Amino acid sequence: MKAIKKPKFIEVPFIGELALSGVRPILGIALGLLAGGVLIAVSGVNPFKAYKAMLQGAFGNRYAFSNVLVRSSPLLLGGIGVSLGIKAGVWNTGIEGYMYLGAVGAAVVGIPALGLPPVAHIILTLIVAMAFGAAWGLIPGYLRAYKGVNEVTSTIMLNYVAVFLTSWLVAEPQPLAEIGSFYPMSKLFQESAQLPILVRGTSLHPGAFIGLAVCVLLYFVLRYTPFGFRTRMLGFNPNAARYAGVNTRKQIMLLIIIGAMLGGLAGAIEVTGLKRRVYMNFVTGVGYESVAVALLAGGNPLGVIAAALFFSALKAGGATMSIQTNIGAPMTSVIIALCVIFVIGVGVSERRRLGKVQDNEKSEAVNEPKIKEEENVT
Amino acid sequence: MQDITKRFPGVLANDRISLECKKGEVLGLLGENGAGKTTLMNILYGLHQPDSGRIYVDGEEVRITSPSKAIHYGIGMVHQHFKLVDTLTVLENIILGIPSKKLLLDLAPARKYLLKLCEEYELFVDPDAEVGRLPVGQQQWVEILKALYRNVQILVFDEPTSVLTPAESDQLCRAIRRLTAEGRSIVFISHKLREVMEITDRVTIIRDGKFIGTIPTREATQLKLAQMMVGRPVSIVRKPRPALEEKKPVLVMKDVNVSDDRGVPALKNFNLIVNAGEILGVAGVDGNGQRELAECVVGLRKPASGTIHVRDRQITDVVADPSFVGFIPEDRQKTGLVLDFSVSENLIIKEYDKQPYIKNGVLKYPVIKKHARSMIEKYNLKTPSGEVKVRNLSGGNQQKVVIARELNLGPVLDIASQPTRGLDMGAVSNVHDTLLSERNRGAAVLFISAELQEVMALSDRIIVLFRGEIMGDIDGETADVSTIGQMMLGHPLEVGI
Amino acid sequence: MSLDMIVNWMQATLRWSVPLILVSTGEVFAERSGVINMGIEGIMLSGALCGIAVSFFTGGVFMAVLVTMALGAMMGLAVAFLTVSRRTNQVVTGLMINMLAMGGTNLLFALLSESRRTRVATFPVLFPQSMHNIPIIGPILFKQPISTWVALILPILSGIVLYKTTWGLNVRAVGDNPQSAATVGLSVIKIKYQTVVLSGIFAALGGCVLTLGEVGYFASGGMTAGRGFIVLAAVVVGGWDPFKTALACLVFGAADAAQLRFQAMGSVIPYQFLQMLPYLVTVIALTIMVEHSRVPKTWGAAYDRRDV
Repeated sequence: MKAIKKPKFIEVPFIGELALSGVRPILGIALGLLAGGVLIAVSGVNPFKAYKAMLQGAFGNRYAFSNVLVRSSPLLLGGIGVSLGIKAGVWNTGIEGYMYLGAVGAAVVGIPALGLPPVAHIILTLIVAMAFGAAWGLIPGYLRAYKGVNEVTSTIMLNYVAVFLTSWLVAEPQPLAEIGSFYPMSKLFQESAQLPILVRGTSLHPGAFIGLAVCVLLYFVLRYTPFGFRTRMLGFNPNAARYAGVNTRKQIMLLIIIGAMLGGLAGAIEVTGLKRRVYMNFVTGVGYESVAVALLAGGNPLGVIAAALFFSALKAGGATMSIQTNIGAPMTSVIIALCVIFVIGVGVSERRRLGKVQDNEKSEAVNEPKIKEEENVT
Repeated sequence: MQDITKRFPGVLANDRISLECKKGEVLGLLGENGAGKTTLMNILYGLHQPDSGRIYVDGEEVRITSPSKAIHYGIGMVHQHFKLVDTLTVLENIILGIPSKKLLLDLAPARKYLLKLCEEYELFVDPDAEVGRLPVGQQQWVEILKALYRNVQILVFDEPTSVLTPAESDQLCRAIRRLTAEGRSIVFISHKLREVMEITDRVTIIRDGKFIGTIPTREATQLKLAQMMVGRPVSIVRKPRPALEEKKPVLVMKDVNVSDDRGVPALKNFNLIVNAGEILGVAGVDGNGQRELAECVVGLRKPASGTIHVRDRQITDVVADPSFVGFIPEDRQKTGLVLDFSVSENLIIKEYDKQPYIKNGVLKYPVIKKHARSMIEKYNLKTPSGEVKVRNLSGGNQQKVVIARELNLGPVLDIASQPTRGLDMGAVSNVHDTLLSERNRGAAVLFISAELQEVMALSDRIIVLFRGEIMGDIDGETADVSTIGQMMLGHPLEVGI
Repeated sequence: MSLDMIVNWMQATLRWSVPLILVSTGEVFAERSGVINMGIEGIMLSGALCGIAVSFFTGGVFMAVLVTMALGAMMGLAVAFLTVSRRTNQVVTGLMINMLAMGGTNLLFALLSESRRTRVATFPVLFPQSMHNIPIIGPILFKQPISTWVALILPILSGIVLYKTTWGLNVRAVGDNPQSAATVGLSVIKIKYQTVVLSGIFAALGGCVLTLGEVGYFASGGMTAGRGFIVLAAVVVGGWDPFKTALACLVFGAADAAQLRFQAMGSVIPYQFLQMLPYLVTVIALTIMVEHSRVPKTWGAAYDRRDV
């Protein structure tokens, strides 16, 4: 039988792809913002005013924008961590747990005075944080790859475990805990372990730039290395990957662990760059937001940059909006969720369908749903 | 059915096809794979909507928009891939979807009626057995009983014998005769000439989605039907080949036991040797261990016991080395290719981490693209460029991509599992030529096919598989259909030839 | 441990299991038809707030239950529309519904802050005071609110619906082989919508019970604390069987209850570790049971009518 004809422009590399992949998110975001506006109006506030406040809060001045960058740091790292999994059809929803473990790892070497020079101490702190995150990710990674335990459930359960573990560590009488504090928190990090502030008078730390660098790096890794080739092959067709000699289980576990390392890094940056201590419940909801970032990006590392910056602008602007207009700050996460829902709901991928009719072979019911899950994402 | 036309995106599956089935007759619908038979019947059963054309039942024009409409008009269908729910019992499958006024399931009367039907048509099944655990043949009885339970007047069989043993096929024939004797009509879809000749009253032939003609079966001969079906004279001649030099074993399997996905033994104490420079054809009805045989030789499936050697190497892990073993898997779309990868990427999915495609840990796309260009030329791949996704190629060209990747480095052993399935005639003969030239190059070729004709046309030696055992090992030159047919039935070859 | 404490623990076990059992009832049907409704966490949360709010403003528990069920049905409908009609990824859809509910409840809760101080009307206790004093079974069973009794009968009822009714047969067929269900004239889409809406209703109800069953107040956005995901695990552990799933819910509820009892007792184990208990038990149970359970064949996969 003959091949399917597609519109010509789709075959132009890059531009065609971009046009195809770009329209849907933009339309979805527009609808999400519109729906958010309706909600704002319903709660009795002029949505134009609210969005204006939001814009100002995100881009009004350099303090505002530095705030956006600070907030983007965990979203960039978490988003790319989730994206890696999505590329191979794995839902690594444990970013929040990894962040807690990363913060704990950072605290273990960042709080005691080790007598190290600043740069070395920072690097040590970040590396230990990544190791802690990776160790935590090993659990759901192993369970998913070798035992078939659904990674969404296991990572979310482990998120709660990580939260309680951290609460215990920063509560008295544990050695890391601040003495006599009103709220469970750790002691201050050593000066030498704290990330520098880049612009005086703001809280801008290098976290966002580390996140950007990781995204760009992983873009090239996915495209141009055997590791990336294996990952993409696994995501598109796990059977073929197995047949081509890829150890698919190991690859799945590795991807979850790398995601966990990045989550750990994000957590460490959050505490050494911004909070200066590990507080009980120092992040809530960033894990979900990272998934949203990855989804909006369609698993593409460069898309993660755009999505993370967009969401952090929403969050930073949302804080200003809530001060100026009395709309609660949670409105931003409502808007984020709406945007993603519209993005995934707007266009049903027809591409896969066309392929199916093309050959006369019938595709039988799916035996491995876990792996087929990601058809709408890539 | 009159002037039925159905287009899929980019494909004209049915082009103004008409057919007519009279009361109490068996109408054969004959055509090659991909000729549009199944599409046509899916339209009749309401699974697809025609773009144009009309359907009449008992002289009245009807619009069949869904399977329930089809059932309403008394049309039933036994699908090629059974539409049964494996995890439900036979009885539950049969009553599934029948409208009931009662809130609770009322199984007792249904069981009684089912047992009566079993008796009447001599199609015996246990109503309480779980369908997934039944042998394939019995599953087909369930499909037939399901239709009869709904008291259909027109029953469509889509390639019913492809999964049956000859004895079961006979049983099916008896049931079909009884049905027609009661005045019901049967549409019998097949691409096998012999059974069409045996069972049908008239035959409608379609080719490439077009209506070719309808003739009464008694006026037809196998040769005539074949010509109508293929569009040119066909012959089952063996391709000429140089003589085998010396016998050097390449693949040696010793006492191999392998289970299938459900854990049922698929190969039992299996011993096999394939020599260099020979094509060993594996014949047999589908599902008698062929798939497992291919998979365990390439290491995708671990045998429970026994050893497999290729040359001196024992096969324990997946062999992803096309300079050693080439494997053309049975389902190219599910296993052989990554449809969303480009042609050039698909050409190296086994070698992406080897020289020269990689340097200092980075993939060398210029080299990969260059390799693709040379492969496109060498294997006469029809594609706009190497950067097109394989999804957009035709079936024949997709298979060429697999072949180019697997055979280009000249492996010592080639395994071709149903390599011509779903391909058109041109592509089939291309695959045959390729396998033959591999043999002449000196490779050992394990050729697995459910199409007896191509096994006989191509093989130097033929083995027949039945329920995971070898029924006989005969010379390809002197093999005849009836001997092999007997072995496919499960009668082992008595005396060696 | 004294008998008193054991009785106390068992009573708490039942109470903590009830919301889980309610939520799982709907989820079993949704997953049996092939749809994983991962949004139950969020729907639970919405139901919890909705129940409290309606009860607060109208004072009627019955009214609260009705409105909550309606809300659950709406949210279920949204999930069904996205996953069934638009064929969006079920994981993504669920997670985003959760995020939406988390933000939404936080927003609304801020508006309803007066209710924080007031305890609203809760579910009535079915049996007379005199029966509460029967040793052992009195406090365990008869002191329970009506919701507990509903939750105890529900698994049996849903077992009958799933295995003994025509509709139940249809649901099982749709989840295992939608193509075959379609070829015998069933509307796969319709059945999936029905089960997913059902899972929405029960999830909201479960949330409502969480607040109106005993405590009578809404804590915060995080008050469901991952219980929706615990239910998802319970369904897998229970092998997609209503009765076994309810048993799994009981085990998880027991872990939850034990955690609270131990904390109250002031045990040597730090309370944070006790808090982890239900989550750890869930992961461990999932790991042990996952290999033994038979997954509905099209679990989590999108269905398209054109796949013939």
